[in-house]
This record gives sequence, C-alpha cells and structure tokens, in this order.
Amino acid sequence: MESAGASLANRARSALIFVAPKVLQFVFVIWATYTLTFLLIHFLPGDPVLAALSLKGGDATTTDPAALEKLRAQYGLDGSLFEQYFRHLGGVLSGDLGVSISTGQQVSTMIARVIPHSASIAVLALVMGIALAVLVTYLAFITRSTWVRQTLLQIPPLGVAIPAFLTGLVLIGVFSFGLGWFPSSGTRSPLSVWLPSITLALPVGAIFFQVFSAAVFEAAGGAYVFTAVAKGLSPRAIFTRHVLRNSMLASITILGLQIGYLAGGTAVVETVFSRDGIGRMTVNAVLARDVNVITGVVIVVAVVYSLVNLVVDVLYGLIDPRTRPSLGRAKGSSPKSPTTTSTPAAADSLVASDDASAERTSA
Amino acid sequence: MSFLKNRTLRIGATALAALLAGGALASCSTGETAATGTPAENVVFALKEDPGCMDPQQVTLTTALNVSRQLTDSLLDQDPATGELKPWLATKWEPNADLTKFTFTLRDGVTFSDGTAMTADVAKANLDALFALGAKASLASQLLAGYTGTDVADASSFTVNFSAPNAQFLQGSSTTTLGMLSLATTAATAEARCQTVVGSGPFVLDSYTKNDSVEISKRAGYNWGSELREHTGEALTAHVSFPIILENSVRTGGLASGEFDVIQDLPYADESRFTAGEYHLYAAANPGIPNSLVANTSAGVLADTNVRQAIMMGLDRNEINTLAGSASGKAPTSALTSTTSGYVSQADAMKFNADGAKAKLESAGWAMGSDGFYAKDGQKLTVTVTAFYAQDVLEAAQMQLKKIGVDLQLKMVTAGDFFGAVAKKDYEFLGAALTRTDPDVLRVALSAKSKAAWAVVADRELEELLAAQASTADTAKRQEIVAKIQKRTIDQAYVIPTLETVQLHASSAKVTGIEFDSASRVNLFDMAANK
Repeated sequence: MESAGASLANRARSALIFVAPKVLQFVFVIWATYTLTFLLIHFLPGDPVLAALSLKGGDATTTDPAALEKLRAQYGLDGSLFEQYFRHLGGVLSGDLGVSISTGQQVSTMIARVIPHSASIAVLALVMGIALAVLVTYLAFITRSTWVRQTLLQIPPLGVAIPAFLTGLVLIGVFSFGLGWFPSSGTRSPLSVWLPSITLALPVGAIFFQVFSAAVFEAAGGAYVFTAVAKGLSPRAIFTRHVLRNSMLASITILGLQIGYLAGGTAVVETVFSRDGIGRMTVNAVLARDVNVITGVVIVVAVVYSLVNLVVDVLYGLIDPRTRPSLGRAKGSSPKSPTTTSTPAAADSLVASDDASAERTSA
Repeated sequence: MSFLKNRTLRIGATALAALLAGGALASCSTGETAATGTPAENVVFALKEDPGCMDPQQVTLTTALNVSRQLTDSLLDQDPATGELKPWLATKWEPNADLTKFTFTLRDGVTFSDGTAMTADVAKANLDALFALGAKASLASQLLAGYTGTDVADASSFTVNFSAPNAQFLQGSSTTTLGMLSLATTAATAEARCQTVVGSGPFVLDSYTKNDSVEISKRAGYNWGSELREHTGEALTAHVSFPIILENSVRTGGLASGEFDVIQDLPYADESRFTAGEYHLYAAANPGIPNSLVANTSAGVLADTNVRQAIMMGLDRNEINTLAGSASGKAPTSALTSTTSGYVSQADAMKFNADGAKAKLESAGWAMGSDGFYAKDGQKLTVTVTAFYAQDVLEAAQMQLKKIGVDLQLKMVTAGDFFGAVAKKDYEFLGAALTRTDPDVLRVALSAKSKAAWAVVADRELEELLAAQASTADTAKRQEIVAKIQKRTIDQAYVIPTLETVQLHASSAKVTGIEFDSASRVNLFDMAANK
C-alpha cells in the first residue's frame, strides 16, 4: 500500500490535469466573446453617440459636429479602433465596465439592477420546466397504455412550437385580466414572477424533455433494466435508481445550454410582461448602439455560460467515472477503486448500459 | 411497457393530459371584467414606454413629458385653444421690440417641494444650467438659442438676454422643457437629474424605477395653478401610479379589465373598441410640422420643383388618415398642424389631384415607361425617403404615388442613423414630424442657418420671411409673415405633409379632467377619479 500523502498528491495532480485545460478554455471563451462583440459593434454602420442622443432628444437631436465630438471623447469613443479596444479592455480587466452612453449610468450598476429580476424568473422557469419534463417522462415511462404514452410524449413539443409571445399574452389575458390572480406586468409585486416564469418554463421544459425522455427510453431498453425487472424491482425503483442516473449525462449537457440561453434570452418575455431585465436591457442597448452596455452584458452572459459549462464538465467526471480516465491511470487501479464516488449498483448499471451515454460524451 | 402496472399513476397520466388540453381550451376565452377596487385617490396611468429620464428640461420624449409636466410649473402657460399666453409662475412678462430681451415678474409665495422659494436667482440658475447642458438638453438649447445670460433685478424680477432675436422663447417658457426646478436640482449632474428632480408642480416624485414604474403624489399646499386650470388649490388626485406597459394589447386589456384607469397611446386600430360610454378618449394632434416628406432640394429629382409639386398633388391625405391615422384625427392641411398657433389652412393648394400630378410631370418632360413609372433621359422617377417611424404612413404614400408613376422607396433606419443622415445631409426625403408649439418650428426645419435644419432649401424669399418672423414681436404682424411662410412652403412643396399624428389616450369613464397642454402633453392637475 502506497503512502496516503503520495496518493493525495497524485489525485490533486490528476484533478489539475482534468480541470486546468477547462479553466483556460473558460478564460479564452470570455476573451474571444468580448473581442468579437467589440468588433461587431464597431463595424455596425451608424454613430453610437447620435443613436444614444436620439433616445432622449427625439426630433430635437442635435447634429452639431462639435457637440458630437465632445460627447464622443467623454464616452471613450474617440481615437482609433485599437486605442478604443485596449482602453476598454483595460477598464474591463480592472473591473470597470464603463458608463452607458444613453443613460449616463455605470454599466455595472445597471447590470446589478436587472440581474435579480432576470435570475428570479430564469431559476423559477428552469425548476418548473425540469419538474414538468421529469413528471411527464415519468408518467409516460410507467404507463402501460401505448396511446397515453404517445399522447404524453407529443404534448411537450407544443411548448417549443407556441411562441413565448403568444403564451405570455394568453396567460395575461386569463390570469391577470380574467381571474386577477397575478399582476400583468412589472416587478413590483412578488407574485409578478409567476406568469413570466411559466411562459419561459414551457419552451425550456420542452427542450429539456426532448433530450431527457429520449435518454430515459433509450436507457430503459438496456439489459440492466431487463435484469432489474426480472429481479422484481418496482417501476418507480427502476426509474429512480437505474434509468434516471443513466440518462443524466445528456440531460446535464442540454441543461447547461439552457442556463446559458436563459442568461440572456429572456427579452421577449420581459417585453410582454413589461419587466425590467437583462434581455430587454440588451435589446435596448443594441438599438441604441450603447457599446459599453452591450459589451458589459455580453461579458456577464459569457461568464455565466462558461461557468455553467465548466460545472457541467466537472459533473461529467462525477457522474460517469469513465470520463475521468487520467484519474484511474494515475493510480493504475481498476474502476472498482474506492475513489469512485458512485455506489456499486449505479456503477454496475453504467457499465451495463448500452454505451449511449459514453458515445454522447466523447462526441 | 408491459411490466408497468401502477393503475393510479396511469390514471394520473391521463388526468395530466386532460388538464393540459383543458388549459389550452381555457386560454381561448379571455375572462370577464373583475375590477379590483383601488381607493379613489389613486389613479393608475399606464405608460407605453420607459420615460428614461425625469428631468423635464432634458427630455423630448412625449412619455417623459407627460410625467414631468406634473412635477414642474413653467413661467407662463399657453391656452391650447387660442395660443394666448397666460401667467403662471410669472405674473407679468415683457419682451423688447426686437425679441432679444424678456423681462419677467415672478408670483409671490411659490415654493419648491424641498421648501425653497422660487426666486429670480433660481430662474437664472435654471437657464444658466440648461444652456450649459447643451446637447444633452437638445430641445431646451434650441429654445435658448443665442442665450447670453440673465440679469436679476430683484428677488422677483429678472431679464433674459439673447444675442439675436428669439421668437420662440416666450412661447417656449410655457413648455415643460423650460419648467422651473429647484436650485439644488440645477446644480446636480445631468445623470442625477434624470433620476430625481425637485419642482414646484402640483405633484411630487415619489419614485422612479427604471423600466418599471413612476409614482407621484400630490403636493400639499400647492396653490399656484395657472388660470387655465379648472380649479384652484391642490391637485384632485392624491396619488398617480405610472406602470410602464410596453405591449399595446396589455395596456388595452388592462383598461378593459380595470387594472388601469388611464392608458397612454391607445393604438388607432383599437379606437372603436373604446368609444362606448364606459370610456373616455383623449385626442390631440401634435403641434408643429405634421408627419411629412421633407425635401432635400440640393440634388436628384427633388431639385425639380415640378416633381415635388406632383408628389404634393398625388397624395390623398384623407385616405392616408383612414389607413394609418386615428379616427379622431384629420388630414393635415398645412406645413403646420391644425393645433399649432399660427396655423393657416393651405387646403386648396394641397388638394388631391392624381391627373393633375401626372399632367404636371408630363409637361416637365417626364414620360411614362412600360413599368408604370415615369422616366426622363433614361432615369426612372425614383425617390427615397429616410425615416425611423410611421412606416405605415409611408407605405400608404408609396402606394398612392405608384398610381401617379412615382416610385417612392422607403429607407427605414434607426433613430441614430436618421440623425446621422441629417448630419451628413445624405437623403432625398426625410419622413418625420417635428413637434414644437411655436410656428418658429418652420425656421428650425427649413432655414439654411438653422443648426437643426431638415429640409435643404435655397430660397432667398423664404429665408427672409423665416428671419423676419423670428424677430417680430407684434403678434398680428408676425402672424401675417407666418401665413406667408406656410403658403410658400406648401406652394414650393418643400414640406409635403402626410398625416397629423394624434396623441390618443383612453380612460375609464370614471376618470375626468385629463387635459392637454398646448404641446399636446397631458396635465393631470384637474384629474379626478370617481370610483
């Protein structure tokens, strides 16, 4: 038996080998996103100062060149593209996202203001969407009637097919104007999170459902499920103890993508429900060519997205021992080594599964 | 799956399916009105967009002015019906002969909501700070063009000086844009003023939550409303909430269900739904230049007066109003809208005459091509219009002009790009309206010397008239000149009006007393809700 210290160092080293490239990738993605956004905005035609002024100035917007030049300097929009890029990048690296041209507020203040509003509906939508998808899949899994299962499997795609715009308006019509249960708009009432969350939960849940139910039914066809049935396990036990875990890899991947989408893709819902939020702020900023706000939002969204991806990558290793080969190799031990966190039963079922998840992981 | 035999769950699955289907059905019928009772002193006024800024002096957005009008008083007030100026914060005012000096005498006992008094020094601080804001307060700096300073004579009288005649200043001093703010507010930065302002108005700002709502309450002890108001003393409504509701259908739905008492900007298409006795409609055309095709005559086919005049004749404005306007509105009949002071109808010169338009083009050497459009020297009669709103109006115009063989191309751009085009004079027509309360708007838009000119016109006669009206203090004489300017502008088709934009608001019948000021922005001082 080797010494405990060497084993610990080995494990730390292999964990580093596993995590370090992913962290580098994380930093690269954020930098690349920032740079690309910066360039794209600057290659858009039009003058950002005029665009911002016209929001407040309307038909009285000044077109006096001297006045515009002064404002351009004030907002760091003077000088060559390179100067602007490095000046702005320097600011970002020191934690200063700059000032919004159209509102004059600090971008970080603006983002801090909208994030709680967006995060509350995004988290609630995610929870509801997943719960709904798991519930429908579970019901479809255990039902004996083919037509009930087929019906259940056909319902969720509606969540993607019906535009959030329409769902939102219908929900407002029924639950705000009709029944008066929820406020139709704004963020003033704590109840105001529900209708937007439900609107978002439908497409989020539907997409999650497509991947999750496919994985579940694929897993259900595996030999180990057959064994479990033969052993006389109840359907619920088969679902929760064997099938669920084996369908998690694909589901976590899609979940990561959806969190990324929710981090910035809530504009339509926020418009329908007249809610303050990051999506609407982004749309307004793009329309106003508000460079600092756009880059600020993109950085925040890119960080969220990359963080989620990082977590997903690490989770792969935790869920499926086969995705951390270096760990096993470093110690030269078998998959049954005590470092494996999974229970023997689950590890067995993973090995017994038809390798669909492994293919997905390597893809 | 044959091994699944849990009966209860199977029933549950069926029930869920039924529930989802039922939910879809239920969503098809919108519920009946279930008005939730709010106290009568609270009125909910749904705005169509975020005002963006609370400072009356910086904003030009109608929505923002609708809110900040309630918070601020101006030196003067203007009767929207007659255009006559009335005392408000100033009891007396006196321009000099060439409109370069204006002396005001302030009313006694006016205080701001922070308790400080309205004095001549405060008025000076307001104008000085405003002038210093420059491009950030674009409309105010236009009204203050040529400002050289304010002389304070004593606590209640002061003189405002200009380097050149400023015809629009006196009328401008009645607008929300030149509303008076407290000394502390004038000292704040432009950004801070957007968040909160202290005025002397009948309402006080409680809170402004960006993209969400504005809350205002009536000012206790207010007693200096202008004589144009229906009552004296404090405002009639204790509290007004302005939720910001972007979706048209949510605003109209909220009005129908009773969630909102008043809604801003009722879509024209919904007008007929809200005309019954249960609702009040409020309509007022924006003053200034109506929605128009404003010509750049320096190049292209629009340099040809015949082409411009043919387009003027080829537009059926009544039809445009039916297609894209409000049922409460009228077709435009001059280069000024019918609600602008100084308006004189040019209806005869603007009659729709498609045959006359074609004859005019043909006599100018244009020949009808096989594609249905006129052409001359191999050049098709195509003209572009650059605009950032009112696409439906331009589409109606496009359709009508096609019938007289003119190819109108729409170039819809963002507001920023629109002003970018204005700055570079890179356009043929601009499609827009210019909202101002004084006929001097024609000088702003047409004069070659104006910094904010939209039309590009080289017309010495017009230029002289524009300069003359700006320096004539005598009302009757000025009116004569303003009438000549309108005639010249329409005859030469520098501005080809398309539609008078109407501010259309709606309220439940329980709400009374909403009035428009001369700029067609709402004044809520007399508003009362009898719930």
